[in-house]
Amino acid sequence: MTKRLKFAFNRRQPYLVPFLDRFLAAASRHNATVLLFLVCCGVTVIGAIVISDLKAANSEAQKAYSGSVHGLQQIGELQYETQETRRATLYALTTSDSNLQVEYADQSRNADQRVKDGIAEYGSQAKRPEESELACRLARDWNNYLGVRDEVLASILEGSTKEAVSLDLSGGVPAFERVRQDLNEVKRLYGEDAARSQANLVASARRSTWRLVGMHSFTLLISGAAVWAIERSRMLSAIQLAKLQMEFVASVSHELRTPLAVLSSAADNIADGLVVGKSALRKYGAILQHQSRSMGQLVDEILLFASTEDGTSNYKLQPLQVSTIIESIVIETEGLVSRAGFALDLQIDPNLPPVLVDVSGVSQCLYNLISNAVKYGGDNRRIALRAFTAPSGQGSGKDVRISVVDRGIGIDSSEIHRIFDPFYRSPRVNVAQIHGTGLGLSLAKRIAESMGGKISVLSELSVGSTFTLHLQIAKGEDAQTAEAPPRSAASPHS
Amino acid sequence: MLRRVTAILIVVALTGWPKSEAAGSPARSSETPSAEQGAAAEPLVIVVNRSNPIDDLSMAELRRIFLGSRSHWANGRRITLVMRDPGEPERKTILRDVCGMNEDQLKNHFIHGLFTGEILLSPKILSTPAGVRKFIFNVPGAIGYLRASDLDNSIKVVRIDELLPDDRGYKLRVQSQAGN
Repeated sequence: MTKRLKFAFNRRQPYLVPFLDRFLAAASRHNATVLLFLVCCGVTVIGAIVISDLKAANSEAQKAYSGSVHGLQQIGELQYETQETRRATLYALTTSDSNLQVEYADQSRNADQRVKDGIAEYGSQAKRPEESELACRLARDWNNYLGVRDEVLASILEGSTKEAVSLDLSGGVPAFERVRQDLNEVKRLYGEDAARSQANLVASARRSTWRLVGMHSFTLLISGAAVWAIERSRMLSAIQLAKLQMEFVASVSHELRTPLAVLSSAADNIADGLVVGKSALRKYGAILQHQSRSMGQLVDEILLFASTEDGTSNYKLQPLQVSTIIESIVIETEGLVSRAGFALDLQIDPNLPPVLVDVSGVSQCLYNLISNAVKYGGDNRRIALRAFTAPSGQGSGKDVRISVVDRGIGIDSSEIHRIFDPFYRSPRVNVAQIHGTGLGLSLAKRIAESMGGKISVLSELSVGSTFTLHLQIAKGEDAQTAEAPPRSAASPHS
Repeated sequence: MLRRVTAILIVVALTGWPKSEAAGSPARSSETPSAEQGAAAEPLVIVVNRSNPIDDLSMAELRRIFLGSRSHWANGRRITLVMRDPGEPERKTILRDVCGMNEDQLKNHFIHGLFTGEILLSPKILSTPAGVRKFIFNVPGAIGYLRASDLDNSIKVVRIDELLPDDRGYKLRVQSQAGN
């Protein structure tokens, strides 16, 4: 049995753990506060249950208390009124004034009516047969006493005091004693009821306590689980970042190594005297120049990314004509495009308004997008560069958009949300051995956002991609436009 | 002997005959009843406890009862006489139409009767019609009188000479000016 369980566990673990890791990775991407939110929801629900439980317990306690008070009051009133009935009767003995005697008789009768009402109420509230029986017995004994009381009263009013006393001693006292015993019995039964209610209350309180302990433990458990999940998601994020950085280092090393190897072999050939003649030297010089520029560009890109890492904007925005930007970028990328055998189609709307950009930033941004299109443009070696205006999506305003369209390998929909992550490179491009650092798009996005714009992407696998740079329109007709400098100066103002 | 004298003194104290009326004012029994039985005269009703089986009394029996000559009912219960305070119109009506005496004569009659033992119990004096009603309600052998307007269901009305208070020829009627 244990072996089977172990086997089952071992079988499940490879599926469970990656699933959990994927879930946590997703959670960490969207923010660990999601987990905290779930914990808060759980705690709120548990809190509501606890409050409801406390309210129920409180209501039960109040019910028991009010029942006790009412019962005690009822018994107290019954006892008092029976005594009052007897007291008023005996008071009639203390005077020979018929008017006063009648008044006492009246008091006695009023009190006895209240006793009858009290007994009837007790009988109507009786829950157990024992109580109903007692109520009947009490009513019977009280009526018996009242019979004697009437005789005593009559004797007193007639003036036969001696006869009244004799009647009371012989009949009234025993009858009243029976009533008193009945009332004691009522008290005893009520005491039993109160004790039962108290026991129920204690049991209820104990249940509430256990429920509270249980819920508290459960809360602690889910809080602990949430903390563990958050920590694990952080750890996974850190691991993922470290992995990406390692890949980046490897990629950068590879990118540096290629021109370095060319530089090294060219230098070796020159040193060994293998390069003879002016034309050969010119050729080697061009190679050295090109490779050293490539290395310089790569280093510039890394430095630029590092400088934008803190997210603060160092760009100086100024109005610039779109045509100037397009002309500048066409010149800058001419070599890159032609070397790769690509053709650049320009589709520029006329009368485009000037845009508010940083000159070097927008050049860098577009260079990265065109460079990407060249890299992943596939066999259809055409890249379109479009510039147009469109509604900005914020109120009734518009913005200027410059799109770079390729008919290349495209991007899988599952990857499209990650392509702007720093150091991210699609497994497909790694397999296809397309070199890169994974910084180009991330850098372009940061630059665009620093200028108050953004980059959007539309892509379909094996069909192509369209990256669009959204730029703010410069406000003010007298805005003077600046000249676009060459991209080699592209670096954030610091 | 001493007990009898004490009883008489108690009767005098309880009944409280006023001096003014005791000053030899003549009994008005000589007055013709028809002269007082005007349209405004209200019937005076003789009442007993509801448990009392008696329904009808003759005027002669009523006189014997109110003068203390008859001490027990037919069922053996002792008769307890209930009177209003001296000077009340209802009392004057009873004295005049039933007892045929004035206050002094009635007082002397009871003193004499208690002294000789012919009368066992002196009348109980109640100040209000409600007091009379409640007394009769509480004492099974009690008999008293009330205006018809003071009646309620707690007591029983007795016919006099087979006549109810509303019947024509009913003799006991009280007037506010009676005896003054």
